[in-house]
Amino acid sequence: MEKIEDFQYILDVSAIVAITDHKGEIKHVNENFCKISKFSAEELIGKDHRVINSGFHEKGFFKNLWSTITKGKVWKGEIKNRAKDGTYYWVDTTIVPFLNEEGIPYKYVAIRYDITERKLGEERLKESLKELSDYKYALDESAIVAITDQKGQITHVNENFCRISKYSKTELIGQDHRLINSGYHPKQFIKDIWGTIATGNVWKGELRNKAKDGTIYWVDTTIVPFLNENRKPYQYLAIRSDITERKRAEEALRISKNKAEENANALEKKNKQLVDFCNIVSHNLRGPLVNISMLVDYLECEDDKDERQEIQDKLKPVINHLMEVFNELVESIQIQQDKDVKIDEIDLGQTVRKVLVGFSIQLTASNADIQIDVKESPHIKFPQRYMESILTNLIGNSLKYRSPKRDPKILVKTSKKGNKTILSVKDNGLGINLDLHKKNMFKIRKTFHKHKDAKGFGLFMTKTQVEAMGGRIWVESQPDVGSTFFVEIKDNAK
Amino acid sequence: MKRIHQLTLVDDDEVFVFLAKKAIKQTNLVELVKVFDNGQEILDYLLENQENPEKLPEVMLLDLSMPVMDGWQFLNEFHKLSPKLPKKINIFICSSSISPEEIEMANKMNEVSDFIIKPINKDKMIEVIQKV
Repeated sequence: MEKIEDFQYILDVSAIVAITDHKGEIKHVNENFCKISKFSAEELIGKDHRVINSGFHEKGFFKNLWSTITKGKVWKGEIKNRAKDGTYYWVDTTIVPFLNEEGIPYKYVAIRYDITERKLGEERLKESLKELSDYKYALDESAIVAITDQKGQITHVNENFCRISKYSKTELIGQDHRLINSGYHPKQFIKDIWGTIATGNVWKGELRNKAKDGTIYWVDTTIVPFLNENRKPYQYLAIRSDITERKRAEEALRISKNKAEENANALEKKNKQLVDFCNIVSHNLRGPLVNISMLVDYLECEDDKDERQEIQDKLKPVINHLMEVFNELVESIQIQQDKDVKIDEIDLGQTVRKVLVGFSIQLTASNADIQIDVKESPHIKFPQRYMESILTNLIGNSLKYRSPKRDPKILVKTSKKGNKTILSVKDNGLGINLDLHKKNMFKIRKTFHKHKDAKGFGLFMTKTQVEAMGGRIWVESQPDVGSTFFVEIKDNAK
Repeated sequence: MKRIHQLTLVDDDEVFVFLAKKAIKQTNLVELVKVFDNGQEILDYLLENQENPEKLPEVMLLDLSMPVMDGWQFLNEFHKLSPKLPKKINIFICSSSISPEEIEMANKMNEVSDFIIKPINKDKMIEVIQKV
């Protein structure tokens, strides 16, 4: 007997206990019941369990409960109840029917345990699981998703991944991303991605990939490493979005921008040529024409025979001069227009020596020292005719404008700069005051020293030839020290 | 009619110089015509004679396109020199250029009295001398 009381005591202390009669009317509640339901024993005795019904369970739930216990069977389950103050609590419930001799229940003992904490936890877990699957759904719907293991092997891809890469799931799983590598990104770039994610960092960037059918697509990519408890990545989640259209538009924009720039440059060059041409017409053609018109005017009103003869004698050289300038201009325009000029494989050393033969008398007379150093770029592709003309002009100038104080020393040299060759002709001659003459250096009919053969045509022509071939010409000089002319020649190999 | 003592031609074109001298002679208004080949030569002459007003010209006809030192470069140098000179020199640019840019540039310079477009003749020369 003592033993049963002991059990009752243990039960009362540890569990929430209620006893009802066969109709369900509460006959007894213990302290735990009152504590959790926040009702007093007086408020509960005589009532049935509807007082604490939370309305959470469906009707069938209690129907099932009653049909079980009225048959004399034990019912077990989890019930959500409502306390007096309206708060809810969960109880793990066991209802034991007590049976009379005929086997009919005459009372029910309900033993409950508070499982509110556990239930709340479960609910929270369920919520976050639901949220998680919502996120996954959203991600799968909106992005191109792939998961790889720590070695880079694909373990999961979504529909979007298959759609854009044109590979099926089975073709992708087990492969690594090299399958869609377009070969566009340099090795170091790929290495840097791995360096970032393998150390647990997120990588973001734009990748150019190749689909199964060979088409190219661009994806904006974020790779998130999933870390284990040792903070080492155990898998990588790659989220991508298709930016092929944007890339295409960017490329198209870049091309049209480049083209516009090119056009603008070409236009500017043409414009400059036009201004130069205007100046030439103004000064070099209109000048002699003015002289002719003035001479003719005088001729008309001069009666003196000797005077008339003098004027007539002056006409011829002016006309010759006009003709000369005119021919020079035509020649320069022909060079500018000659897009199909023949490009030769030039042996520079040989060409320099050939040009020097033409100067042999001057070279001996002036005791000139000529050095040729073309070992850095012995062969170039350029029109032979132009190269001979350029060298003749530059070497000719070095001899023409030599210093009376010293024997001429001329160095013809080539150097390589990327795929360009720079040809230079350096002398120790009179030099040019570039502060005064820089802007006129290569203009027609501009001379910088008094010399009977100074015509102001050589450098103009040289510049025309160099620029027609896409090159550049410039000069460095110091008066009474010497000049160096530089010609930059593009590699004209086709 | 107003007469001047000295007129200076700065031009490298021998034929033009020959014809200009003829036109000037016909005006009968100029006592002495001096000729210089380019900007550097007239500049050297001015520097040499900056203490002798009687050696300086009243009028200068300056060509633009010349070797060694062209008209523009000379005008730059003259701009620095002119405050030191004891006498006003009236510079007329005399060029075959019909470029509007060059004419506008010349008009902006205080040192330049006017821009004369070649050709010239006796009447044009009289006009120039009367402006001084």
